[in-house]
Amino acid sequence: MIYLKMGTRLLFFFLLAPFFLMAQNNDLCVISGQIKSETGEPVEGILVSLKGTASGVYTDAKGNYKIEGIASGTYTLVVYGMGYVVKEKEITLKPGENSVVNLQVKSEAQQMEIVEVYGRSQTKEIQQQAYNVVAVDAKKLHNTTLDLGQALDRVSGVRVRESGGLGSRMSFTLNGFTGRQVRFFMDGIPMENFGSSFQLNSIPVNFAERIEIYKGVVPIWLGSDAMGGAVNIVTSALPGSYLDASYTYGSFNTHRSAVNAGYTSKKGLNVQVSLFQNYSDNNYLIYAPVIDIKTSALTATKWVRRFHDKYHNEAVVVNVGVVNKKYADKLLFGFTYGQNYADIQTDARMAVPYGTPYQKGNTIMPTFRYAKKDLFLKGLDVTVSANYNLGYNQVIDTVNRRYNWLGQYNNDFEKNGIKGGERNRTLYKFRNNSGIAVAVANYRLSARHTITLSNTYNTFNRLGSDELVPENASYEQPRYNTKNIIGLGYKFDLNEKWNTTLFGKYYSQVTKYSESYTVITEQFYREKKKLMNPLGYGIATTYFPHRSLQLKASFEKTYRLPEPDELFGDQVDLEGNVGLRAESSFNYNLGLGYNFQIRKNHRISFEATGIYRDAQDFIRQVLAINQVRYTMENRGKVLIKAVEGEIRYSYKKVFSAGFNTTYQDMRNYTKYEPGQQVVSDVYKYQLPNFPYLFSNADASLFFHGLGKKKGNTLSLGYNFLYVHGFYLYWPKIGGKDDKLDIPLQFNHDINIVYSMADGKYNISFTCRNILNNEQYDNFKLQKPGRAFYIKLRYFIRKNADK
Amino acid sequence: MFKIYRAIVAVACIGLVFSACTKKEDQDVAPADTTNIYRGTKYIITATPTASTGVADYLLSVDDPTTGTISTAGNGVEQDGTYRYYTVHKGKFFSLLYGQGNPGAVATYRFNKQGKLEKISDFVSETVQVFANVGDDILTMKVPRQGDNKTAYMYRINADLSQIVDTKTIDVVNLSGNGERAHFTWAKQVGNKVFAPYMSIRGCCSDAFGTSNPDSAYIAVFSYPDLTLEKVIKDNRTSYIGAYFNDGLALDERGDVYAFSPAAATYETVVKSTTKSAFVRIPAGTTSFDNYYFDVETASGGHHIRQQTYIGNGKILLNMYGDAGKISGGPKLAIADLYNKTFTWISGLPAEIVSMSTPYNNNTVSSDKGKIYVGINAADGSWIYVVDVNSASATKGMTVEGGKITSIVKVTN
Repeated sequence: MIYLKMGTRLLFFFLLAPFFLMAQNNDLCVISGQIKSETGEPVEGILVSLKGTASGVYTDAKGNYKIEGIASGTYTLVVYGMGYVVKEKEITLKPGENSVVNLQVKSEAQQMEIVEVYGRSQTKEIQQQAYNVVAVDAKKLHNTTLDLGQALDRVSGVRVRESGGLGSRMSFTLNGFTGRQVRFFMDGIPMENFGSSFQLNSIPVNFAERIEIYKGVVPIWLGSDAMGGAVNIVTSALPGSYLDASYTYGSFNTHRSAVNAGYTSKKGLNVQVSLFQNYSDNNYLIYAPVIDIKTSALTATKWVRRFHDKYHNEAVVVNVGVVNKKYADKLLFGFTYGQNYADIQTDARMAVPYGTPYQKGNTIMPTFRYAKKDLFLKGLDVTVSANYNLGYNQVIDTVNRRYNWLGQYNNDFEKNGIKGGERNRTLYKFRNNSGIAVAVANYRLSARHTITLSNTYNTFNRLGSDELVPENASYEQPRYNTKNIIGLGYKFDLNEKWNTTLFGKYYSQVTKYSESYTVITEQFYREKKKLMNPLGYGIATTYFPHRSLQLKASFEKTYRLPEPDELFGDQVDLEGNVGLRAESSFNYNLGLGYNFQIRKNHRISFEATGIYRDAQDFIRQVLAINQVRYTMENRGKVLIKAVEGEIRYSYKKVFSAGFNTTYQDMRNYTKYEPGQQVVSDVYKYQLPNFPYLFSNADASLFFHGLGKKKGNTLSLGYNFLYVHGFYLYWPKIGGKDDKLDIPLQFNHDINIVYSMADGKYNISFTCRNILNNEQYDNFKLQKPGRAFYIKLRYFIRKNADK
Repeated sequence: MFKIYRAIVAVACIGLVFSACTKKEDQDVAPADTTNIYRGTKYIITATPTASTGVADYLLSVDDPTTGTISTAGNGVEQDGTYRYYTVHKGKFFSLLYGQGNPGAVATYRFNKQGKLEKISDFVSETVQVFANVGDDILTMKVPRQGDNKTAYMYRINADLSQIVDTKTIDVVNLSGNGERAHFTWAKQVGNKVFAPYMSIRGCCSDAFGTSNPDSAYIAVFSYPDLTLEKVIKDNRTSYIGAYFNDGLALDERGDVYAFSPAAATYETVVKSTTKSAFVRIPAGTTSFDNYYFDVETASGGHHIRQQTYIGNGKILLNMYGDAGKISGGPKLAIADLYNKTFTWISGLPAEIVSMSTPYNNNTVSSDKGKIYVGINAADGSWIYVVDVNSASATKGMTVEGGKITSIVKVTN
């Protein structure tokens, strides 16, 4: 409580500080001009300032700037912005002079060419922020057969866990943060309500232009209640007209295709269309127990094919609107339609297979997006986005059979007309009626001071019914949730070497639900309303002691509110827990980045992050008490220490390699379990069922100008994954020989990409898990063995100006 | 350039060496070795570490539960989760999953010659609400309590073979005959028949276990092994017999069946039973109640019976609801004499018991029927208590560390 009060006070002090710091000078001189890139194109939004003063402005869309009210004297004009090499020029102003200074800036990307282009995943574009952020340049992966989940899995500190093949349940770990402690955004909009048709592992990588991964503190403009990280998927928004079409075919009868097209007219009419489709039978081999369908006795353990695991989804995203207008830089109305179908082959265990249940659902979502720089006031940038999902979800389980892993079934009861299901007989269909609205205002008071205000509002009201038991409809329990998060941030740029952000967040959540309570062994319900409104705050800072060395540090008191489907379940494999409380945490984060070159040709970059977390009511995913579904639980106190590092090397334009490794120590510091007077049996133990040590390595080799044609490139890539073994349940309890574990895993992928005509035609070939190693993940569900994929891609782009 | 190639090849080779693990082969299940059996008696204590969800049960093998200390730290056979139930039949220990409607794996264990608990077979079972030893079988029942499915399943699982040998069904709405559903509370072998008491429940309307018949007791009588319904015994002196997942019948050495009612039937969460928590009786060889009536509620000073374990010679261990006049409160233990209709609270136990070992599988009565072991969990620890039946007093036996006791059973071969 004391911390909170102190923090609040500090926060307000820093928020008000800029108003006192703003200097008032007499108008004397004016400097203006235009900033252009080395190719002669005007550079928008780059900062032009006078060193050692508070004066500074950003360039407009035509690259023009104007600094007024400067006293005469000698100054250093500094031009700097993300992705550009800092440019300085000394100028002398006579009293009353109106000086015009045009400058050309060099893009940093060009200077860092080799590391950039051949470092595969790092883009420096947004790294100057105080936040610990890496950006994966998805464009460089557009020729690969990856989906967004797989692309993320290769990032340092990230572990993506999937329960099976294409379309299976996915969970995410980032530097000691897990599950929804990390929030996902698409173009800055939380993805919470996108529905099951839009999951990261069913969206092709071509859908994204860039993936930003915020480790630790999440910027205020992303809003939301991300506890320790965020992933923001930036979709393609290339100027001009473009078409990107690709098709992938592979093992397990997998077909995936994607088309992205955009058109911008000279008058500013903008149309973007994305279509994608995934299909797979997921009939990969697994080592499974086979029972006799009559006696239920285990008869053998065999390699069998999964036989009821088909998944497919189809989606179309259309955005129509205007860009670069007086009233809006961007005003887009969109519509997203997606549908998905997934057979249910197993629960959280492989003991029992199913042969008929499936789930289906759709996403019907109107969207709106508005962005304007310098709205009403110079320096005031506003974005407003909103969407509403009208889609449904349904689980179908009405066939009274019992299957074994050979696909044989016992239908004695079905034949006799006895009603039943394989899991729980159901046709329950529900709509979440969920909407999100996000508004962000960014106001640059001067070159040094920026204030950001954001508000994110979520609403959720699940309504459902089961046509098998229509009489139950009137007894449906309320499942209603609203969440609002207001964030206020202040950024102080002392100079190009140092900047700091301070921020505060006010969270509020209202949940209406019915609580079950037990009389004897019977369950009853009563309606309840729960309110949560905590206050969070933090500070993030970055410093460049040297041009190639960056230090980052942040501290945050933060909250992570339970999400609706964690409270109410998803009716498939996540069981609701209406008693779930908000998790709170003090997070401390340190980061370091360094890059250097040896004799021009060898480039090496190094990056390391350390995090310390003190979490209360830590939310983690566990197996539900029935061992067949998952649920979320609060763990009283958990301390997390995580370190993660990455080193990359590249040689000219021909070779690049990287290695990263992550270690996370996550310990239970709940000394007394609720209602207990003795020290917890698992006090100070590592949390079970979390991968805590894992590494990735990759290497790529490029051959340019193949077949004597300049625009042709052949690349060979190799990717390696190592995950250390871990226990399913708490360590140290029980006899060592009898403990259930997820064994140590290795995985090797290789790929070959051949691009022709400067990337217009591309063909790639991938082999995943080339050694056919057994791969396990969530709760020991077996994943696919060796698999082959081929991808064909066509890409064409025309600039609007031409 | 060439050097780089060599480096890549070298790295790849190292990777291959490290990853070349042996592939598993198809394997048929070999029949269990019937000679490698420990001869004698051992106890299994099942314990759950105190950490709410996300934990597993551990099977602790014990020779003598009356003394010493045992811990789950580095010891015990880990089970897959905690929502499991355990039973012993024909010298084997069965570990079944309660999958809340989903089928799940069952593991069968036995002590080998070296006295080590060993898994001997696996099979798959439905989620069941009733399991009782009948003949060579474990009889399990899966009972639907809501939805449009009105069929209960009865499975005969042969304990020697660890497999289902027969399955029968019964329509629970037809059985109740009053528009509600019959929900079996448990089953008991009585001679060559199976007695299965049931609750009449609404089975709908977010009040599945509510009833409009709060003052009636029902027992269905089935033939065995055919599991044909022969008769339903009714009585209006008490409410339903036993409770959900709770054995309400005590069979004594004479063949008489004593049935208890907790008097706890509800309608929309409110207790509606007006009858007392009491025992009634079905005399040996008959299938109807006689006029025996033992009002335990009055004898105990207003407490309702929660659970029972029959000991012998008319003596029975009762777990009573701690709060007088209410269906709530932690366990309070008593010894009752069904023949003389006497009731005595057990002395020597912790003042506040959080939970105790399950009664339905408790087979730890001593051969002279003078002692029974129970697992007791209090806020400051867990112990096996030795209850002296004649004096109704308990003494501390083995201390169990690193988990709360969920059951204690005896395995004899």
